[in-house]
Amino acid sequence: MPVAKVLAALALGAGACATWAEGLVLRYGQALSAHKSIYSLPVALAEREGLFRREGIDFRVVIPIPGGTDRMIQALHDDTADVTHVATPFLVRAALAGSDAVAIAAEFNDPVYSLVARPEIARIADLKGRTVGMADPGGSIAFSMRKLLALHGLRESDVRTKTIDGTPARLSCLRGGGCDAVPLGQPQDVLAQAEGYRLLGISNEAVPEYLYTVTAARRSWASANSDLVVRYVRALAASFGMIRDPARRPAVVAAIVDITAVAPGIAERVLDLYAQPGRKALPLSGEIDPKGVAQVIAFMADAGQIQPPLPAAERFVDLSYLVRAGVR
Amino acid sequence: MKSAIRLVLLAVALLPAAVLAGANRDRGQDEVGPGPDEGPSYFGVVLDAAGKPVEDARVTATSRDGLAMTTRSNAAGAYHLPGFNKRINADEVKISCAKPGYRQMRVVRRPAPTGRPVRAVETECRLQKS
Repeated sequence: MPVAKVLAALALGAGACATWAEGLVLRYGQALSAHKSIYSLPVALAEREGLFRREGIDFRVVIPIPGGTDRMIQALHDDTADVTHVATPFLVRAALAGSDAVAIAAEFNDPVYSLVARPEIARIADLKGRTVGMADPGGSIAFSMRKLLALHGLRESDVRTKTIDGTPARLSCLRGGGCDAVPLGQPQDVLAQAEGYRLLGISNEAVPEYLYTVTAARRSWASANSDLVVRYVRALAASFGMIRDPARRPAVVAAIVDITAVAPGIAERVLDLYAQPGRKALPLSGEIDPKGVAQVIAFMADAGQIQPPLPAAERFVDLSYLVRAGVR
Repeated sequence: MKSAIRLVLLAVALLPAAVLAGANRDRGQDEVGPGPDEGPSYFGVVLDAAGKPVEDARVTATSRDGLAMTTRSNAAGAYHLPGFNKRINADEVKISCAKPGYRQMRVVRRPAPTGRPVRAVETECRLQKS
C-alpha cells in the first residue's frame, strides 16, 4: 500500500477517535431566565457532574436572544438548538399551530410557588378585599394561585389583583406595601419568610399534578438521532437520581448556589423544598405523567387559550426515548 | 456610513439594562432579571466584504466551556447579546457570525477603554459571499 494511503488512513482514524473523544454534539436550547433559575438544575447538574460526558455527549447550552420560553420551540425549527427546555403550555400551543415538537422527558413537574403575605395576614381567607400581585393571567403561576384561592373559599374577584411579571418584581411590591400578598418562587420565597413575611400556602396544595417544563425535540430530528436522544434522557435520569441522593447533597447545593447566586443556607432550603419525599415537584427520573400534560391542557382551556374539543395529552409526548433509556 | 453605524452601536450598548431585560422577557415562565453577577455584554455589527451591513446573520458568543448565546443582526447589521456570568472571562468569549450563502472572513474586537471596567465588548464580524 502506498505510504500516502497509509498516512491518509491513519489521519482518518485519528479524526474519528478525536470525534468520539469529544462526544456527539447536542445543542440544548434554554431561555436566559431559565438558565439563571432553579429550573435549570437537572440539566446544569448533569453538565457539572459529567453525566453527559459519560454518555458520550458533547453537551452545549444555547441561549437564543431575544429569548423567552415562548420562543424555544422556534429555536428547534430555525436550527438554533437540537432539543430545548420549554414550559409545557408553549409546547402545546406550538404543536397545535403545526410544529412537530414533542416532549421527550420531564424536567420539572410541579413548581413550588409560595403565596406569601404581609405578617399581619394570617390565612388565605383574610385576603378578601386585599391586593394580590399576580403573574401573567394566562400562565401556570396564575392558574395555580386561582386554584389555591378557591381551595380556601376565595374567588379571584374576591381579591384585588394586579399583574406583576417576575418573582423579583412581586417581592418588591410586597416589600414596598403595594401588594398584600404575592406568589413567589425560589429563592425569594425563602428570603421573604426570613424577613418576617408569612407563608399562607403553596401552589402544590391546589395543583398536585402538573407538568411545568420538559425537554422537547422535533419528532423528525429525534427520530433521525434517536441514539443521541436516548443518551441524553439517560444522563438526565441520572441527574434526577443525584438530586435525591443524600450522599450527593453537597454537589447539588453547590450547583444551586452557582445557578441562582444565593447563600448555601438558602440553597439547602430550596433543595429541601423540591426533593422532599412525597412532593412530586421533580420527576424521579425524567418520566412524563400524561395526567400532568392533561392538567396543562385543562388550564389552557380554562384560560380560553384553547377551545374544545381538547386534544389528548399523548399528542404532545413521545415516551419511546424514555422507554429505551430504561425510565419507567 | 461607518460613523452612523458606530452611533447606532453605541446607542444599543448604552441602552439601560432594564430595557434590554425587557427584550429578553420570558412569558409564561418566571423571570430572573440581570443580576449583579452579570459580566460585560457583547455588541457590534456584521458587515459584508464591501462594508455593507448584513441583516439576519446569526451571531453567537461562545464561552470557553461551550455555553453559547445567539441572536440575529438587524437591518443595520447590529447585534447585542447580554453578558455571561462574571465568572466567565470576556477575553475568552468567542464571537462568530454566519448566514447561509456567506462564510466568515474575520472577527475584529474593538479595544476597550483603558482604566475603566469593561461594560460592553464591541466586535465587528465580516462575512463574504461564498
